[in-house]
Amino acid sequence: MAGAPRLAVSGIAKRFGAVRALRNADLVVDAGSVHALVGENGAGKSTLIKILSGAETADAGTTAFDGQEVTIGSTTAAMALGVATVYQEPQLFADLTVAENVFTGREITRAGRVDWPAQNARVTELLDLIGLPARYATVAVGTLSIAEQQQVSIAKALAGDARLLILDEPSAILTDTEIEVLFGVVRRLAASGVAIVYISHRLDELFTIADVVTVMRDGETIGTWPIAELSVRRIAELMVGGVLDDGPREHRVPDGPARLELRGLGLEGRFHDVDVAVRGGEVVGLYGLVGSGVAEIAASVYGITPATSGTLHVDGAEVRPRSPRHAKALGIGLLPSDRKQQGMFSFQPISFNISAGNLRLLSKARVFVDRRREREVARRMIERLSVKTPSERQPVSAMSGGNAQKVVLARQLVDRPGVLVLAEPTQGVDVGAKDEIHRIIAELADAGTAVLVVTSDLPEAIRISDRLHVVRDGTTTAEFGPGASQVDVLAAAAGAVEVAT
Amino acid sequence: MTARALRLVLTQRTALLVVLLVAVVVTMTTLSGNNYLSAPYSASYMASTLINAVPLAMLALAELLVITSGRGGIDLSVGAIVSLTGMVFGFAYGQWGWPLAPAILLALVLGAACGALNGFLVAHLGFPALIATLATYYAFRSLALVVNDQKPINSQPVQDLYSTATAVALPLVGESFPRVPLGIFTFLVPTALVVWLVLARTTAGRRLYAIGTNDVAARWSGIDVRRTRWSAYVAAGAISGLVAVVTVAQFASARPDSGTSGNGMALPAITIAILGGVAITGGVGRVAGVVLATLLIVWLNAGILLAVPGNSGSQYQLFALGIVLVVAALLNALTQRRYGGTQ
Amino acid sequence: MSAPALARPAPAKPGRVLPFPVTGQEVVLLVVIAVLWAALAVTTPAFATEGSIVPLLVAMTPIALIGIGMTVVIVTGGIDVSVGSIVMVCAVVIAKAMVGSGIPLPAAVALGMAVGALLGLVNGALIAYGRVQAIIITFGTLNLFRFAGLQVFGSATVEGIPGTLAPFGRGDAGRTLGVPHSFVVLLVVAAIAWYYLRHTPGGRHFFAIGGDADAARLAGISVRARIVLGYVVTGLLAGVAACFVIAQGTSSLAASVGSGLELSVIAAVVIGGTSITGGRGSVLGTLLGALLVQTVRTGVTQLGWPSQLSDLFVGVFIIVAVGADLLRQRRRPTGKRTT
Repeated sequence: MAGAPRLAVSGIAKRFGAVRALRNADLVVDAGSVHALVGENGAGKSTLIKILSGAETADAGTTAFDGQEVTIGSTTAAMALGVATVYQEPQLFADLTVAENVFTGREITRAGRVDWPAQNARVTELLDLIGLPARYATVAVGTLSIAEQQQVSIAKALAGDARLLILDEPSAILTDTEIEVLFGVVRRLAASGVAIVYISHRLDELFTIADVVTVMRDGETIGTWPIAELSVRRIAELMVGGVLDDGPREHRVPDGPARLELRGLGLEGRFHDVDVAVRGGEVVGLYGLVGSGVAEIAASVYGITPATSGTLHVDGAEVRPRSPRHAKALGIGLLPSDRKQQGMFSFQPISFNISAGNLRLLSKARVFVDRRREREVARRMIERLSVKTPSERQPVSAMSGGNAQKVVLARQLVDRPGVLVLAEPTQGVDVGAKDEIHRIIAELADAGTAVLVVTSDLPEAIRISDRLHVVRDGTTTAEFGPGASQVDVLAAAAGAVEVAT
Repeated sequence: MTARALRLVLTQRTALLVVLLVAVVVTMTTLSGNNYLSAPYSASYMASTLINAVPLAMLALAELLVITSGRGGIDLSVGAIVSLTGMVFGFAYGQWGWPLAPAILLALVLGAACGALNGFLVAHLGFPALIATLATYYAFRSLALVVNDQKPINSQPVQDLYSTATAVALPLVGESFPRVPLGIFTFLVPTALVVWLVLARTTAGRRLYAIGTNDVAARWSGIDVRRTRWSAYVAAGAISGLVAVVTVAQFASARPDSGTSGNGMALPAITIAILGGVAITGGVGRVAGVVLATLLIVWLNAGILLAVPGNSGSQYQLFALGIVLVVAALLNALTQRRYGGTQ
Repeated sequence: MSAPALARPAPAKPGRVLPFPVTGQEVVLLVVIAVLWAALAVTTPAFATEGSIVPLLVAMTPIALIGIGMTVVIVTGGIDVSVGSIVMVCAVVIAKAMVGSGIPLPAAVALGMAVGALLGLVNGALIAYGRVQAIIITFGTLNLFRFAGLQVFGSATVEGIPGTLAPFGRGDAGRTLGVPHSFVVLLVVAAIAWYYLRHTPGGRHFFAIGGDADAARLAGISVRARIVLGYVVTGLLAGVAACFVIAQGTSSLAASVGSGLELSVIAAVVIGGTSITGGRGSVLGTLLGALLVQTVRTGVTQLGWPSQLSDLFVGVFIIVAVGADLLRQRRRPTGKRTT
C-alpha cells in the first residue's frame, strides 16, 4: 500500500430521469480514517453511497481504489473490492441465528456441510469486535433489539474482507449508550486500517468520531475539512450554503387560546416533556432530525401510540386519543409521514381515497355511501388542491408523489378538523407541488385551523412556520420565531449547544 | 383498436369472462346443432343446470368477502359450516317441528356464529386465515358428523323441502322463457344483490375494500380494521348457513357431510372467486365477476357432461376448472406486469 | 488481508455452535404426546400393545412423509394443496403397473417417485416462473392432477392389486422384529431431511428465502431454483407415500384415494411449529405433529368414541399450537408487524 488513498472518486454524476441527483461529487477517503459525509436531505449523499456500493452506476466520473482505477458495476463487484455498506434498515433474516445471517450466501463449508465451528469462531471474533456478547452467535436475530440488529449488520459487512465500510446514519435509531458502543466499534475498525465513510445528521457526534468531514449540497461535494477546523455552526453554514433566509412570513396570527396543546407529553423510551401550543390560525413547526423522536410525537397525538405521560388538550379540554378513529372524533386530523404505507389506497380511485376517512360524513343514514356527494367532494378537493388528474376516478397509484400526497391530504380536510397535524407533508414531492402544499397549509391556517407541521426538512420548517420548535433527543429544546436563520435552527437541532468549539 | 380490445379483455376481468362465456355457449350450441352432444344444449337445459350454480355462487360470494378483506384472507371452513348448520337446520325443521322461517333464521345465525369464531381468530388474535379456517374446518366437520351419529336427517318435512328446488316459470315472461330453478330466486339472487349492495353502495363495503387494499392506511384513516375484518368472516358464515338450507332442500335430506365430502365445497368456491377476479392479496373483487365465473363454470360443465357422457364427463369438469384457474392466475400475473393490474 | 485485525483474539469457545436442536414447541408437543399415550394406556388397556402401536406408526407415515416436503415448501413461504391429488395419481399409476405388468417393489417405488417429482415440477415451475401465489396454482393443479388420475383409473376402481408392496403394510410382512418398515423409511427420510435443512448451505437457504426473498436474492441465493426444488421434493415424497397408502389398503384402490389428504398434512406441519408465513419450521416438529394427529385418531377410536370426533381435537390442537406461537412472536422485542 503506497500512499494512495483507499478510495478516490471524482466528477461523479447521476441523473434519474429529469432529476440530477448528483452533479459533481469528489471524495477521497484514506485508510484508517473516519470520513464523515454530511448534507441536507436531497443533497445527494444517498445517491453517492449507492454508487459506491454498486447499487447504482454513475453516469460520469472516475473511481480509484487503493490507487487502481476501477468500475463498480454491481453490488457483487463492490463486495469483491471490499466495499461493505450498512444501511439504516437492517437486511436480516429474523428467524436465522446471528452467525447464519453473517454468512448467508457465503457459508463456510466442509465436505458440503456448513462448518458451524469455523463460522462460529469467526462470528465470535466479529461479535467481540463490535461489542456484542459471544453467545449471540447462536441467537435468532429476530429476538435482538433494533440496535443490536444494526450491530449485526455491521458484523455482516465486516465478515467479507471489508476495506471500506459505509455506515448510513447508523446512529439515527440508537440510544446514547448504544451510540457509545457504536463509536467504539468504528474507532477500533479505523485503527485496524479500514476506511470508514460515516453519514450522519447529528453534527455534534462528528466531533467525537470523525477525522475529516465532506459537505454536500445540491448534488455536489463542496469541500472537505479536517474536523478540527470546523464547528457545528460552521458545518451548518456549509450545508445550508449562501441561501438568503426568507424574511418573516407575511402572516398575522390572530390572538386567542391554544387549540392544540401538548403539556409535558411523553412516551416511554421515545420522547419526553414535549411542550407545544398551537393557536387557531397558527402554523407551528416541529423540526427534528431522523431519530430525534419527532415522528413519534405526531403518531402519539393521533392515537397510534398513545402517550404515557403528560397531557394533551384540544380547545382547552384534556383528551386522550386511543386510536386514529378516536382522534378524528376529537377533531384532530393527521397527514401520515409514510404516504405509501400509511396513507394511500394505491389501486383505488381518488374519490375512494378521499372518502375512506370520511365515510360517516359522506353517507346516507350512516349505511349507504352518498355517491353523489362523494363525487362532488372529490371534485371540489381536486380543484381546491390543484390535483392534476383527468377525473376523480383515476387510481392514485398512477399519480405523481405530489398529487398522491394532495389526495391523502384532502382526506383530512373533508370534515374541516380544528387541529391538523401534518407529518412530513412534502416528502418525495416535486418542487412545484411542494410550493402548492405550502400554500394550502397557509390557507388552512388562515381559515382558522391550528396546524402542527412535523418535518425533517429544514427550509420547509422555517418557511411555513409561525413558530418553530426544535426537537432533539426526544424533547423540545429550542424555539424560534418567524424568519429564523437556517443555520441557527440546524445548529440547535444538531447539537451546537453542548459542543463548544 | 385491437390493442385496446386486448387490453380491455386482459385488464377487465368481467370483459374476459363475458367473452369466455359467449365462447362456451356458442361452441356448445354449435356442437349441439350438429348433433355432437348426447342431448340438446338448449336454453331449458342451461336453465335447469343453474341449480348447481346456487351453492357454488353463494359460497364464492362468501369467499369474495373474506378474500377481499386482505392479509391472506380465505375461508376453508365454509363447506364444514354448510354441513354443520345443515344438520342443525335438519333438526330444527325436520325433527323439532320448527316452522320454516325460524329454522332458516337459525341456520343463518348459527352460520354467522361459526364465521364469528373464524373472524375472532383472524381479526382479533392475528391467526393466519388459512390456519384458523383449516382448524375450524376440522372442528365444524367433526361436529356435523358426530351430532347425529353420521346419519342424515330425512324426515317428511325435510323431504317436502325438495319442492323449493324445483323449477318455476319466470314471472312476466311466463312460459316463453325456460323454467329456472326456484333456489335461484329464493336464495342466490337475494344474496348476490345484498352482497353487491354492501360492497358497491355501503360504507361497510368501502371499509372492507379499504382494509383489503392497505390496512395500515385504513387504520390511520380512522377505520376500525378489526371489526371490519371480523364482519367479513361473520357474513361468510351467514351465507354458508343459507347454503346449508339450499343444500338440504336440494338433496331432500340433511346430510352430515353435505359440504365436506370429496374435495368439499370450499375449494371450488375459492376457485370460482379467484377466477372471478378476486385478488388473493385483497382489496379487489366484484360480485359481477364472481357471478359470471360461476355461470361460466356451470355452463361449461353442463356442456362437458353432454359432450363427454358418463363418468369421464365429470372428470373433464375437473380438468376445465383446473386449467381455467391456472390460466386465469397466470394471466393475472402477466397483466399485473404489463398493465399494472386487473380491475 | 483479513479484514479487521483484531485487538483481542477471540476466546476459544467450546460447546454448542448451533441453537439447541429441539425447540420449546417441540418439547411441549413431545410432552403432550407422552401424556396422551400415558392416559390412553391407562384408560384403554389395548392401547399400549403392539397391535395398537404398530398400526398407529404405520398409519402416520404417509402424512408425515409428505409433511417433510410440505415443511420445506411452507418454510419458503409457499404451500402445496395439490398433494392429495399427487398421491392419487401416483397410487393409481403404481397400482395399474402392478396389476398390468407385475412390476417389483423397487420399480413401483421408483415409478411413484418419478411421477410425483414430475407433478411437483409442474407446481414448482408454475409458481417460481409464473410468479403466481402458490395457493392459487396448487388449487388449480389439484383439479388437473385429479383429472389426470381419474383418466388413468378409467371409470372403475383398480382391483386385484398384488401384494408386492406388503413390506410397507400393516401386516407381518410389513415389519422386522416388530418394527414397521414404512416407519423406518420415514425415519431415514426425516433424518436426511433434518440433516440437509440444518447443516448444509442449500438447506439453510430455504429458511433465508422464507424470511426475506429479496434479501436472499441479494445474498446470492438462486431463489427460484430453491422454490422449484421444494415442490419437486414434496411431489417425490408424495409418490413414496402413495406406495404406503396402497400397502395399507386392500387389494382394490378407489378413486377417492388421497382426497382431503392435503389438509391433514398441513395440519401436521403447523401443529409441528412451522410458520405458515415462512422462514421457520422443522422436520422434527412435523413428525411430532403427524404423530399427535394419528395418536388422537387412534385414541378416539380405541376409547369407543365416534371416530369423526378426532377431527375436532385436531382443529383444537391447530388453534392451540399456532396460538402459542403467535403469543411467543408477540413477546419478541422487535416484531416486523407494523399494524
